[in-house]
Amino acid sequence: MLGNLINQGRIKSPWVVHFDCGSCNGCDIEVLACLTPLYDIERFGILNIGNPKHADVLLVTGTVNQRNKHVLKNIYDQMPTPKAVIAIGACGCSGGVFREAYNVVGGVDKVIPVDVYVPGCPARPEAIIDGVVAALEKVKKLLGMTA
Amino acid sequence: MLDTLVFVTVLLPFLVAAVLLVLREQNLRKVILVATAGVLILSSLAMLRGGAFIMSPAPLWGSLVTLGDFLILAVVLLVGLKRKNQIIVWLTVAQIVGLIWFDFFMVKDHGATPAFFADDLSLVMVLVVSIVGSLIAVYGIGYMKEHEEHLHLTTSKQPQFFFFIVLFLGAMNGLVLANNMLWMYFFWECTTLCSFMLIGHDDTEIARKNAERALWMNVLGGTAFLFGVMLLYKVTGTLSLQEILARGPEFAVAGGAILVPMFLLVFAGMTKAAQAPFQSWLTGAMVAPTPVSALLHSSTMVKAGVYIIVRLAPIYAGTYFSNFVALFGAFVFLATACLAAGQSNGKKILAYSTISNLALIIACAGINTPAAITAAILLILFHAISKALMFLCVGAIEQKIGSRDIEDMRGLFARMPRTALVAVIGILTMTLPPFGMLMAKWMAIESAHGQFLLMIMLALGSGVTVLFWCRWAGLMLATPFAKAAPEAQDGTIRGPLYLLAGLAVVLSFFSPLVYNGLVAPVVAMYYKTAPYVLRYGNFESATGVFLVYPLFILLGLGFFFALRQTRKITAAQAVGPYMCGEQTSVDGKPGFLGPLGQNVTAVSGNYYLEQFFGEAMLSKWINVIALAVLVIMLFGGAL
Amino acid sequence: MTKILLAVLALVAAPILGALITGVDRRITAWLQSRYGPPILQPLYDVLKLLGKQPMLVNTWQALCAYVYLVGAALSVVLLFTGSDLLLIFFVLTVGAVFLVMGALASPSPYSQIGGQRELLQMLAYEPLLILVFASIAMVTGSFKVSSVFELSRPMLYDLPLMFIVLGYALTIKLRKSPFDISASAHAHQELVRGVYTEYSGPYLAMIEIAHWYEVILVLGICALFWSTSFVGMIVLVALTYLAEILVDNVTARLTWRVMLKSAVGMGLVLTVVNMLWLYAQ
Ligand code: SF4
Repeated sequence: MLGNLINQGRIKSPWVVHFDCGSCNGCDIEVLACLTPLYDIERFGILNIGNPKHADVLLVTGTVNQRNKHVLKNIYDQMPTPKAVIAIGACGCSGGVFREAYNVVGGVDKVIPVDVYVPGCPARPEAIIDGVVAALEKVKKLLGMTA
Repeated sequence: MLDTLVFVTVLLPFLVAAVLLVLREQNLRKVILVATAGVLILSSLAMLRGGAFIMSPAPLWGSLVTLGDFLILAVVLLVGLKRKNQIIVWLTVAQIVGLIWFDFFMVKDHGATPAFFADDLSLVMVLVVSIVGSLIAVYGIGYMKEHEEHLHLTTSKQPQFFFFIVLFLGAMNGLVLANNMLWMYFFWECTTLCSFMLIGHDDTEIARKNAERALWMNVLGGTAFLFGVMLLYKVTGTLSLQEILARGPEFAVAGGAILVPMFLLVFAGMTKAAQAPFQSWLTGAMVAPTPVSALLHSSTMVKAGVYIIVRLAPIYAGTYFSNFVALFGAFVFLATACLAAGQSNGKKILAYSTISNLALIIACAGINTPAAITAAILLILFHAISKALMFLCVGAIEQKIGSRDIEDMRGLFARMPRTALVAVIGILTMTLPPFGMLMAKWMAIESAHGQFLLMIMLALGSGVTVLFWCRWAGLMLATPFAKAAPEAQDGTIRGPLYLLAGLAVVLSFFSPLVYNGLVAPVVAMYYKTAPYVLRYGNFESATGVFLVYPLFILLGLGFFFALRQTRKITAAQAVGPYMCGEQTSVDGKPGFLGPLGQNVTAVSGNYYLEQFFGEAMLSKWINVIALAVLVIMLFGGAL
Repeated sequence: MTKILLAVLALVAAPILGALITGVDRRITAWLQSRYGPPILQPLYDVLKLLGKQPMLVNTWQALCAYVYLVGAALSVVLLFTGSDLLLIFFVLTVGAVFLVMGALASPSPYSQIGGQRELLQMLAYEPLLILVFASIAMVTGSFKVSSVFELSRPMLYDLPLMFIVLGYALTIKLRKSPFDISASAHAHQELVRGVYTEYSGPYLAMIEIAHWYEVILVLGICALFWSTSFVGMIVLVALTYLAEILVDNVTARLTWRVMLKSAVGMGLVLTVVNMLWLYAQ
């Protein structure tokens, strides 16, 4: 019973923490746009939390480089399970236009496991919200809940 | 039997002190001290069982006391002359002249007044002095050994040190048991001299200076005391405290004449209790070795000051003077709590918090209702235990980490888990229900009910109090997950720490019994009404109810459950603190990974709110206001 | 016997009620910001989810502190509902608050350190206010007992209108609402990561959230005392007060702790003194 309720909660309350890995700020602005009254992600119980220790979903924008890959790893490690990672934008997915730069490691999945990839340059807010929903679907399947 | 008990509690310390003064053998001293402590504790308990009494020793002792008076005054005069301190010299001369006049010309019936008497208030005081004081003396053994090693002394000054410590205990016991006001004066002066010697013990420049300041302030109080006694004798025609108390209401009705000596005695009590504007002697006293501070702050000296104020409270009950005492107490309570909040020096925080708590006791004496007096007596008891504990903790910590600054105690739990834990317990017993201190504070605030100015000051003061205690407890716990190994510690240090911590908790648990057995009888004796009804151990009165056992049980169960849950936590669940994902750790100290991969240690500090609670600025105003209240008290209340 | 029933009722109903109130609060806040807002049950979902997360700690003190905070808050609500002593309730509330801060200070993270310090300043601001409110209630009823408030023949609000404002001040601080959401915000506003809550996570954060619901019920319960003569009056008064809180939350910006301390203590004292003079004059 309680387990069921908790699973319900997991689906209905994904708190996200947004980490700007090495973005050109294009994707960051789109992430923040999701908070505006137009998109209002709080409808789905999504809150933008500033602290990985409180978060369930890690949104990463931008490429990973040599300088910040340990930060990404640390933040991921400080999130209590269950947790999901969403890579946003072409950069987050694969390195994007910066892919060949000398200090760029590549996409987010080079450092931590990624659950959902949201393409776009920049990714649209709808796509980002859709990404979170896709992550939830994945969680549902993992928890054995049928939608 | 009774003779022996009084002999043991009062005279034995004097004799033991004399032995200790000539004894240079370490181990023998240890044995004697521990044995004396044991004997003192047992005899104080036995005395408690015996209950109230009156006693007059042989007349010879009376003469000895008179001789002692002049001896002490002579010593103080010599000190004053040597240090060229005009205030000390003239005040002492005034006392000598006054005493000669009083002793040989005014008082006719020297032998007629019984020297000792005890009711439950005195017995509670004897308990506090003998138990808490003795434990501090035992702690002194281990502490002084390290202290002297640290100072690299060639000849140990411990004989002298313990001479005064043990003497102090005897003098305090004498003071609280005295019935004859002249005897009390003798013991009063004894404590002044002992504290002077102990504060100056380390003989550094600053120790000498602070000792001198303590001396002149207390000599001022002593002078007030002597002239207070003289006037009291003139008004009442007796030196017997018991008789004065018994006939108290009759004097109070007779008019203001009794209030002038009352003012002088209360004023003497205030100097001894280091109330503003005399707080500087007590904050200066912390230059002395820690056992001295612990002794001065908890069981002796300052408690003598509040003892006399609480003792005399029934006599001035219902007068304007009493209202001013309450106002003064409440003001100093708030003011010194603010001063404590602005400090980072651990001992200074303790010093100001002592003054603040004493002021609360004085405020209770001024409010002067049965409930308030109950609060005052319970505060004396519980404060002595918790404060002694805190001082001993700070002393032990200081010897280990070489600092008494609370900022340096960050994460102390990792280095001294046992002591840190005891210190946290001490802080909790100071600040939180269901412990005795808080219960007494609850009584105090509820008895101030209806007097709004008092209430405002008490409300603000208790808010500030929580601030400085809470952050101190919190920062000691800032440690990494790994369990630390318990620190090595001398048994004479650890023993008193554990005993006091246990005492603080257990006594709070039995506070209904303490109230019934020790406090209610005294209050009923002087105020004719009982302030609280105890139902299932809960304190009930018309104004409120304090649930002792439900709170203890529920909070205790919650705490126990929480402890069990935390036991289950494994190291696998531990992570580093949140540092933006840049956390590193060097020697267990957390930090950020800075540019070029360098470690930048994370440093944090408390808010000391300099702009509100800065010591220099605040002290000036506090002294002025306190002085003004005192003057108004004299002219508006007493005259 | 009724007391035990009341206690159990308080223990069970208070957090649920607190959660619902928080849910409504979020909905209204969203509405004021022309958003749609989360479902009313959202706070419950949040806490359920947090309860199911993996426990993660810097050290064991934090877990201990979270538990004791919860126990303290729950106990104070129980005491209120069983008609106990106001001052005692206040002291028990302090137990919880002190442990919350101790847990925050027990982590070396600068964010939680500053959060803890700021929480202490908030306590410094609201504690005297609460004591003053309780003292003036005692002036009117002649006793600190909650039960004696219900023996009054007319609502206390007539006698203590200004004290109700003082209580409102304390309420804003205690509910962590703007302009006084200095140590941590009730909503997901980010300031110094998450202030005093930073290092609590997973189930421990859930416990703190539940404790916060208890506290919400406690302060609203104290508000309700001001219209003790009728049940409807209580509900209306509490509802209006809470709406006012939400409005204030949405139209003000966060102030510094200095302003908070000065204004809370200053306003509190002035209003108290005026109200008391008025009471004497009557
Ligand atoms: S994907 Fe495009 S918009 Fe997003 S960070 Fe990369 S370059 Fe910028």
